[in-house]
Amino acid sequence: MRIVIADDAAILREGLAHLLTARGHEVVAAVGDPQALRAAVAEHRPDVAVVDIRMPPTHTDEGLRTAIELRRDHPDVGILLFSQYVETRYATDLLAGSPAGVGYLLKERVGDIDDFVDALHRVASGGTALDPEVVGHLLNAGRRGVSALTPRERDVLGLMAEGRTNAAIAKTLVVSDRAVEKHIANIFLKLDLPPSGDDHRRVLAVLRYLGT
Amino acid sequence: MSLGVVLRAPVSRRVWTEILYLLVSAPLAAFGFAYTLATVVLGAGLAVTAAGIPLLAFGLYVAREIAGLHRGLAGRLLGEHIEPPAPVRTAPGLARVQIRLSDAAAWRAMAYFLVKLPITVIHLYILALTWAWSLVAITYPIQHAAGVNMDTVRDAHGAVRHGLVVGGVVFDTWPRQLAVCATGVLLLFVAPWATHVALMPDRMLMRWLLGRRGLAERVRDLEETRARAVDDAAATLRRIERDLHDGAQVRLIALTMQLTMVRDAVPDGAVRTLVDTAQATAREAIQELRELVRGIHPPALDHGLDTALTTLAARSGVPVEANVELGARPTAAIESIAYFCAAELLANVARHSGATRAWLSLTQAEGRLRLQVRDDGHGVAAPAGGSGLSGLLDRVRTVDGRLGIVSPPGGPTVVTVELPSHA
Repeated sequence: MRIVIADDAAILREGLAHLLTARGHEVVAAVGDPQALRAAVAEHRPDVAVVDIRMPPTHTDEGLRTAIELRRDHPDVGILLFSQYVETRYATDLLAGSPAGVGYLLKERVGDIDDFVDALHRVASGGTALDPEVVGHLLNAGRRGVSALTPRERDVLGLMAEGRTNAAIAKTLVVSDRAVEKHIANIFLKLDLPPSGDDHRRVLAVLRYLGT
Repeated sequence: MSLGVVLRAPVSRRVWTEILYLLVSAPLAAFGFAYTLATVVLGAGLAVTAAGIPLLAFGLYVAREIAGLHRGLAGRLLGEHIEPPAPVRTAPGLARVQIRLSDAAAWRAMAYFLVKLPITVIHLYILALTWAWSLVAITYPIQHAAGVNMDTVRDAHGAVRHGLVVGGVVFDTWPRQLAVCATGVLLLFVAPWATHVALMPDRMLMRWLLGRRGLAERVRDLEETRARAVDDAAATLRRIERDLHDGAQVRLIALTMQLTMVRDAVPDGAVRTLVDTAQATAREAIQELRELVRGIHPPALDHGLDTALTTLAARSGVPVEANVELGARPTAAIESIAYFCAAELLANVARHSGATRAWLSLTQAEGRLRLQVRDDGHGVAAPAGGSGLSGLLDRVRTVDGRLGIVSPPGGPTVVTVELPSHA
């Protein structure tokens, strides 16, 4: 996996680069500001860019805005937003349009390096990876149809929103794949998403649920 | 007033300092008058160019300094201690010019300079009239003997007489000369009082034009300083949040990364368990820090109150329908107060009301923000109920805000917070 890292804190930038390199990934660039990020992505065409939300000059949402630009200019590059805070607004801004190939994780998740690398893989291959905390907030935000779902179905949908596969959901909830499929079918039914040849129903369900 | 005081008046310290004040302040008065005319005329004349307004602003700034000299003189020589007006606020660039131009104290100082010159002329005239004439009169016998300062008249009998003539009476005989002398002495005792009384209008004008104005101005000063204090506090909190974000939090996250690397380097066993524990501790610390920061300055506020409030509503335990309509952005301090009010109110709804739904609205009208949180709970919310509402009231009051609670038994509860758009 070819990765570009953008974070204005050198200690995090270097640390993450080190960590990912040790895991056998290729960090092609580690930069500290939006311009350098744009240049690095244009030059290296990485599989995924890890982008800090707060970057110079104003240290508010430069990273987010640059990420949205990058998604427009380089749709094939996965973007993983990386922040110390959970702000639903950032996630919905990023997800607006298409949730494919994007992620939003809290920085502290790098502690669970396997989960983190897994999230990077999902984003790089066009999937989604949302922080459980982000998902929790988004689920609170967009509550349409909530009442119809059982708690278990809600758990399943939450994990779907994080970008997990059926197998991963089954493992997490300690149930069979079959049970997960059943829950998902019920979710589609309750959210009124009939089968349509298109297999983006997962994404639609998540979006419907998140209210974006 | 005892006779002694009257007798000592001409040689008392007070009278000499008063005369000194008059003599020293006279050139200053002339300068202030010329300065004011020049500044106003030049400023107005150049107003069509870019230089006029800044020039006038600078002129007003200097006028304050000159007023300070007058106050200093009055304090030192007259014992008239005048409290200086509140200092003007500082601001960068054009705002500074605007502040200077609307500085009432400086304009009052200029008004004082314009009035000061004519009254100084009158003072000097009174000074001359009393002191000089008393000296002339006292020394009259000497003048008469020396033959200076005399009129020569021919009386009804045709005799030629030399002397001072007042109302057809020639003061040439000894008794008459002594009478003039006595008048001089009398004038000498009147002069100090005349000087003192003549200074009264000046003292009044100084108090009125160079001093701190009445209650209204004092209230405005206080409001300004309070607004500054509130803004400073908001800015400080914002800085603390930045420092935590860029300092402690970054280091803790780096620590979790390093622990991950350590974990990778050690085999399964006791050490790895220790590292896992350390990592869990670091993660908890990060989470605690994050909660702490949210209480100091929620990052979402960087994007304005609407983003912060919708985020807040999304995070609430009870479903909240948020409706935020904001025009101009309020000051940082007001945004922060509004945010924490909304946070507290929504937390109350979740904790105490038993509501299943809540509505949050923020509107702006006539320079005031109106934040309303409504729920379908069981009511009876009161500031004394220890529900955090009294703390809210304290917070709102720091900026002249208002808090209204309607919460009948059985509900619904409607809490309205009104804040000025600018602290």
